[in-house]
Amino acid sequence: MLARMLSPFEEFGPSAGAIYCADRILQRLSPKLRLYFYELLEQPIPEEPLLPPRLAKCLELREIHAGAPELARMPARPDIKASRFRQEAICLAAFLKDEFVGHIWFCFRGYQEDEVRCTFLLPDEKHSVFDFDLYVFPEHRLGLGFVGIWNAANAFLRSRGVHRSYSRLTRFNLASRQAHRRLGARCIGRMLVLQLGKAEFTLATLPPYVHVSLSDRDRAQLKLRASRNVPGQARGRLVGQHARSGN
Amino acid sequence: MSELQILSDYIRSETGYEGELSPELDLLEKHILDSFNIVQWAMFIQEQFKIDLEAEELVRQNLSSLSRVMALIDSKRGQGKPN
Repeated sequence: MLARMLSPFEEFGPSAGAIYCADRILQRLSPKLRLYFYELLEQPIPEEPLLPPRLAKCLELREIHAGAPELARMPARPDIKASRFRQEAICLAAFLKDEFVGHIWFCFRGYQEDEVRCTFLLPDEKHSVFDFDLYVFPEHRLGLGFVGIWNAANAFLRSRGVHRSYSRLTRFNLASRQAHRRLGARCIGRMLVLQLGKAEFTLATLPPYVHVSLSDRDRAQLKLRASRNVPGQARGRLVGQHARSGN
Repeated sequence: MSELQILSDYIRSETGYEGELSPELDLLEKHILDSFNIVQWAMFIQEQFKIDLEAEELVRQNLSSLSRVMALIDSKRGQGKPN
């Protein structure tokens, strides 16, 4: 029992562990009570591909539009997917030899979050983008899926002059956090959102820092900030980096 | 150095894993490898053993343990075919 209570603190650290426990308690009290803890990430888009051409060419990204059959297989709710298209998000579906294996979404003009009332504003709309809902079907998660999608997405973004991709990640998704870090992502801010029924209280390390929303029409406008580091420093190509002889 | 030892050394050096590394140990189940470094693992195998892996061969069944990787390498060298 004690070990179970302490495990979030061991897994996430003292402060994040306390927030995690608080959220669990709130959820037990009422489904209308939540405490979200997000990290805001900036990921450089590398010049070099992540995969060798022979493997990269096996996975193809295709832009799909409202009404495409692949949308029905995506886990997000239909109304959420419809709202993404309304905000002009681009959905890229990944195909491995014509099999639909996953997807990623991008917004080129800021992103209206669907979990909480917040709109993320990009620091430089010409050269940055907001990515969200990267999903790989379970049977492809331990294959080419994740890296293959980012490899193709990077090429797509580079061709449009994008140098950085921003995202928000729940602090408790450690696997995704680690995967983003391997792609060169760095944390540029954090935000905490307390949902009490219709009311939302936002605290963030980026402007406007504090926001109170009492209705769906009132959203926090969070200004993402570009880090000072030169973009394009992500670890590129995986091939050859680790080819140690071992003898 | 045996091929098995080369594979073991790679896993230890790349992941920092210091525990027991038996040929049958499931590297994915034990979270020693994840969705990102399994591709690096495949790239290493390809380069080290001079074999060409196809995209459809980069699956759990072929890469999840040292023994499965050895079987994959053998099969690519013409001693049978996995999957």
